[in-house]
Amino acid sequence: MTPALSVQGFTLDYTTRHGTRRVLDGVDLVIAPDEVVGLVGESGSGKTSLAWAIMRHLPRNAHEVAGHILLGVTDLRAAGPRAVNALRGRRMGMVFQDPSTALNPTLTIGRQVTEVLTYHRGLSGAAAWHAAVDALRHVHLREAEALMRRYPHQISGGEKQRVVIATAFACQPELIIFDEPTSALDVITGARILALFAELRRQTGVAALYISHDLALVSRVADRVAVLRDGKVVEEAAADTVFRAPHHDYTRRLVDAVPRPERRLVFDAPGEGSLLRAEKIAVRYARRRLFRAAAPPATHDIGFAIRPGEILGVVGESGSGKSSLARALTGLAAFSGGIQFAGRTIAGPRDMDRDYRRAVQIVFQHPDASLNPRQTIGQILSRPLRLYGGDPRSVPALLEQARLPADYARRHPHQLSGGEKQRVAVARAFAARPRLVICDEITAPLDVSVQASIIALLLALREAHDTAYLFITHDLNLVRQIAHRVAVMRAGEMVDLLPTEALSGAATHPYTRELIAATPVPAGT
Amino acid sequence: MTDTLHRLLRTPQGMLGLVLLFVLLLACVFGPTLAPYDPDAIDFLGRFAVPGARHILGADQLGRDVFSRLLAGARATVPLALAATLLGAAAGAVIGTLSAYLGGLWDEAIMRTVDAVMAIPGLLLALLLVSTFGGGALNAALAIGIAFAPGMARVTRSVALTARQADYVSAAIARGESGGWIVLREMLPNVAAPVIIEATIRVAFAVMLFSTLSFLGLGAQPPLAEWGLMVSEARPFLHQAPWVIVVPCCAIALTAVSFNLLGDGLRDALNPRDEQ
Amino acid sequence: MSGAWLLRRLFTVVYTMLVVSLLVFAITQVLPADAAVTLLGENATPAALAAVRLRLGLNDPAWRQYVHWLLHLAHGDLGVSMRTGQPVAPTMLTALGRSLLLAGLSLGFMLLIAVPLGVLAALRRGRPIDLLVGLLSYLGVSVPEFVTATLLLIVLADHLQWLPATGYVAPSENLVGSLQHLVLPVLTISLILVAHVSRMVRSETIDILHSDYVRAARLKGLPPRTVLLRHTLRNALLPVITIVALDVGYLLGGIIVVEEIFAIPGIGRELFVAITARDLPTVQAGALIMAGTYAVANTLADIAYALLDPRIRYD
Repeated sequence: MTPALSVQGFTLDYTTRHGTRRVLDGVDLVIAPDEVVGLVGESGSGKTSLAWAIMRHLPRNAHEVAGHILLGVTDLRAAGPRAVNALRGRRMGMVFQDPSTALNPTLTIGRQVTEVLTYHRGLSGAAAWHAAVDALRHVHLREAEALMRRYPHQISGGEKQRVVIATAFACQPELIIFDEPTSALDVITGARILALFAELRRQTGVAALYISHDLALVSRVADRVAVLRDGKVVEEAAADTVFRAPHHDYTRRLVDAVPRPERRLVFDAPGEGSLLRAEKIAVRYARRRLFRAAAPPATHDIGFAIRPGEILGVVGESGSGKSSLARALTGLAAFSGGIQFAGRTIAGPRDMDRDYRRAVQIVFQHPDASLNPRQTIGQILSRPLRLYGGDPRSVPALLEQARLPADYARRHPHQLSGGEKQRVAVARAFAARPRLVICDEITAPLDVSVQASIIALLLALREAHDTAYLFITHDLNLVRQIAHRVAVMRAGEMVDLLPTEALSGAATHPYTRELIAATPVPAGT
Repeated sequence: MTDTLHRLLRTPQGMLGLVLLFVLLLACVFGPTLAPYDPDAIDFLGRFAVPGARHILGADQLGRDVFSRLLAGARATVPLALAATLLGAAAGAVIGTLSAYLGGLWDEAIMRTVDAVMAIPGLLLALLLVSTFGGGALNAALAIGIAFAPGMARVTRSVALTARQADYVSAAIARGESGGWIVLREMLPNVAAPVIIEATIRVAFAVMLFSTLSFLGLGAQPPLAEWGLMVSEARPFLHQAPWVIVVPCCAIALTAVSFNLLGDGLRDALNPRDEQ
Repeated sequence: MSGAWLLRRLFTVVYTMLVVSLLVFAITQVLPADAAVTLLGENATPAALAAVRLRLGLNDPAWRQYVHWLLHLAHGDLGVSMRTGQPVAPTMLTALGRSLLLAGLSLGFMLLIAVPLGVLAALRRGRPIDLLVGLLSYLGVSVPEFVTATLLLIVLADHLQWLPATGYVAPSENLVGSLQHLVLPVLTISLILVAHVSRMVRSETIDILHSDYVRAARLKGLPPRTVLLRHTLRNALLPVITIVALDVGYLLGGIIVVEEIFAIPGIGRELFVAITARDLPTVQAGALIMAGTYAVANTLADIAYALLDPRIRYD
């Protein structure tokens, strides 16, 4: 039986100003009809380039050095531009990562769906319109007819992704490539999209290439998984065996790095008493402008306490208010309510004195933005030392603590990788010897293996300095590995605050249960 | 500083811009020494001399050597254009940074007022100011500087706003740094680069505006050898001696081009990211 | 696009005109130490100076002068020219009409050339045509209007004798002659605008060409022409409205120079003559009309943009 997709010995180079880089090296991949193959790799592995190569959408500086790509029996590399256009959308489709940018903002939804039908299936006018409405109904979009007349900005992220999926399935292609389709969506919406995908797959029997950096998720979605590293396929196996019994070293490391709730990393108990107590914290970004009303509050009265040396996890979707909470605690946002710390009550950013600021530090999400691009690493690290009475000469010690080479002190941030920059940000927070460090989604933009090393660093530093963490993340699995207690936030409210063990119990808020159900646990565990 | 220079020379625009500006600088500094004739020396017998051996670029309607006047014109135009831009950039930077720092309603009020002032075309504003101050090269430069301020305020404010919202500024605020430290040590190095680039390109515009004002009779006054003035004085003799007009025109264009090139080159050179 | 949005735009226009009026008044009437002396010269008799001061109300405190002036404006009374003795409003309005003709032709001509040029340069990025367009637009933005005008005069009017040098003929009198006289001024203004706008169009188009949704459209297998027209240009050309509106300000400034060189009796020329003659009422009126034109153009552009961009229309 002819495979839906057959990639044989495919090698791809990119030529840049600095020379030639081999992005894919002798890649072999076969997808049978009605099979879903997951392609897993970290950033720079080449997985996205493979997708572009299959869709014949490579940039000008790309050179296909060797190999074949066959869609069914059609040699894609030999196909001319017109043939390629006829193939795209008709025999192979693609679902993209960010649905809000994948749809043309100035065209109606209806137009963007009917144009594929018009061009590929020769439908016109009313026939195309009805077929489009059917396609939208098929992906469980309500009020499909009204939706046809709306514009992308008027519907939610999840709805947009369903439209993109509907468009991809509309011409019943042989193969659909999914490029991280849920990473731009929140966990619960993403889970629903995955359920939709499973259903459509059962109905249509389409072959699919599912690309992702999330090994846990892919193992749930795919039949077989291929692991890509630096352009080479290092392992290929059935989805559940990849997790249970990885062969290659790299796969093993990757599997180890994936957060799993049952793999606990923190074994001690926090201290007694309360290090910091927050009472009725409400954050309001009241930007009253001419003729415009103020925005709704970011957090309603939030109250909780952190014990010395405790790791308190805070989970929630975007807009839940968790970042606003972090900003309030560090004096970056005005708030009402009070913070009890070291015997003092702090009623606002102005009350935060040097002792408080020294004891409560924050690490931000985006390392590119949190380090001043025009300062050297040495300058960035010596500043808090100078400010809090430390010794500026201990910069090398700080770097060593963060597992970075000492000569990095002379470098600028743009010369470091994302993970290295984040280590510098952590080192900067610890330069003050804080009692509490707030981590605001610090590992979200990083690869999973880099994330694991940053977590290891945080835990090691906690051992050394007995620091408490307020660990904000959207990754429930990660937080269950390291936190003592978990707070769940939604729309500015704290709906649950429980010990980690109690999360799987019955006494949890419905939203928490929904969140846990939506978080993918790797197959085979 | 030298690092920036090296990166500047690596871009074609930067290289070309620097070369042209160097030539300009030579003309400004050594102009009077290099000039074969006195720029103001009138010679009625040599009027409208065609470019040739005696006068490389010919002579104008009063027999003055065009090449010498060209060199003198550099001195009359470029330093004042630079001064005007500096004035406008400084005033604009103060307003823009203040507005970004204050934020909220103050920011909106200031920016709306700046936008309103910008509803008056730059040339018109400069003309109005010059007619009040009185004509002359210095007043023209002052007027241009004032006319530039709103535009530079807008640019500075938007850059400052971006810098202020960056996480490294938040990190500094969270550390408890003083406002002064944040503005000077965290924001300014990141704000300076785009503002310098914008200002460099503005100098080109200042040169054009200055020569336009002189052309209209409200800038440099005769017998100064300012390029715009040269064009306007030679206008009645367009037919007999076109070279008297063409030469200063080319000089103005080349000067503006060289500052534009330098600005573009700086845009690449001052961007820290391109150094992989 | 709600009622509140329109109200905000209206407020902006009113505020703008208020600030402009204040600024113009301050520069022309308040700033000069003694406006009467500035008007009549140092050698004027004290009686003449006193008469002028009385006529212009210069003995009143500044704010009262300003309020009087505003009240007159509100009634449509722009005063009487100090130079000609004629009421300012009718003269300026006729002059404005002529300038609008010139401006309109220039904008139209400019759009016809700049937009296709910019799109072409974007589609053929890095190739010879793009570099050529880039070079020409670089030169275009580095050349002041009077240089372009003079060079065009030398080549087209003097040397080749194809077109008349200066002067103005009303279209109602002689359409062909009118257009002939307008070619050089229109070319002068357009050249600089073409240089600027084509650059902007090019960079907008390049951004859109690299956007996710254009890529998605291509990967849907749509024919290249559909991708270009329906997806790329539709989004790339929307900002052109804003760019052109901003350039109206630059155009108005340039009109002063161009009308002066080509002897066209438009508002720019009236303004310039008034400035050199220190004809205060005409200067004030002219400045207000120019700023008002700019404000109106920008508001119209905002409304047009809001109507065409569904993200704003259905907010």
